[in-house]
Amino acid sequence: MLINTVILFLRDALPIFVLVVYLYAHLPASKLWLFFCLIAGALLSLAYINQIHIIGQWFDGNGIELSLWLSQLLIYLLTLVLGYGLTRDQTSYQYFMFWVAGLMISLTLVSKGSNFILYFDGYLNQSNVLQPLLLGTFLGLGICLSLAVLLYLAAQWLKQQFGAWATWSLILVYVTGQLVNALPLLVQVDLIDPSAIAWSSQHLVSDEFEFGHLFNVLFGYQAAPSTTQVTVYVLALLIPLAIFYWLKQRSASQSGNKQ
Amino acid sequence: MNKILGYAVLFFGLFCPPILAAVTEYHIQLKDHLFFPSRIHIPANQKVKLVIDNQDDTPEEFDSFSLNREKVIFAHRKAKIFIGPLKPGEYGFFGEYNPNTARGTVIVEHSKEESPDAN
Repeated sequence: MLINTVILFLRDALPIFVLVVYLYAHLPASKLWLFFCLIAGALLSLAYINQIHIIGQWFDGNGIELSLWLSQLLIYLLTLVLGYGLTRDQTSYQYFMFWVAGLMISLTLVSKGSNFILYFDGYLNQSNVLQPLLLGTFLGLGICLSLAVLLYLAAQWLKQQFGAWATWSLILVYVTGQLVNALPLLVQVDLIDPSAIAWSSQHLVSDEFEFGHLFNVLFGYQAAPSTTQVTVYVLALLIPLAIFYWLKQRSASQSGNKQ
Repeated sequence: MNKILGYAVLFFGLFCPPILAAVTEYHIQLKDHLFFPSRIHIPANQKVKLVIDNQDDTPEEFDSFSLNREKVIFAHRKAKIFIGPLKPGEYGFFGEYNPNTARGTVIVEHSKEESPDAN
């Protein structure tokens, strides 16, 4: 139970920590929005869990997979809005960006946090597992917090060196990874056909190892991705990067012409 | 109108073939945090449906790295997961909440018709 809890934290809590620290480094410092969106996300997770039996019956029993996939897609689209905000006058878009970031964190909390609530709800009432469960929680939280601090420092350094586009790129890589990770949800409910395995790096970094878990969270690493996943990953990364680079160049040339 | 109908048929044909295809079901029970049967034999290169019946009082998450699947199965509920087409081999799965006990293997093997030795 101790190890299970720690692994559950690595798989489901670490993505929440990573997104929070990236957004915290990306947006101008303000602690209040973060506090409110964490509370909102926790409440939404509870509401989702409360209705999960009903949601699960939607669309011929595929409701959970579809809702999780749609939330990942929405998080990805919100990341694009966040990037668009960088191409505009930041002062007028600042509050809007806080709302966007808040929604991203809330949706991530719903999709990842609901797994926790299910786990703890199922096992917390068993007296013999309480001690390892709590110990695992402290250990898991400790690992997630340590990694979050390291990632925050790295993101801050990147922002100082290369500007806000660097932290946005980190967010885009993370969110694209999560989006691609959610693709098998559609395959497992038979909504899209599975495709061939693109490659296998199982012998280098296995999905089951600690680094496999960490890389999966940071950039969606999979030891044996399908060709669909690779295609979606490349397109979802490169298209926004190319569009925003073009928008940035255009706004730079326009402001140059005005002067 | 005919054009719209044509596009609809084309869209359906391109994106919805899984809905039309019939697949074989394989049933697995989860009781006392154990999968039964723990070894499931399925044919190679075919899509199949696993129906997992959780008879425990606690939820479990069906998880498999090699099959790339994860699904929460609530207490006293059933869940279905599509897997395949797969190459012959062994693909492990486990319950994420009880990985020490809830373990199993999907064994993918050539069916008699497509086996190289069949003729």
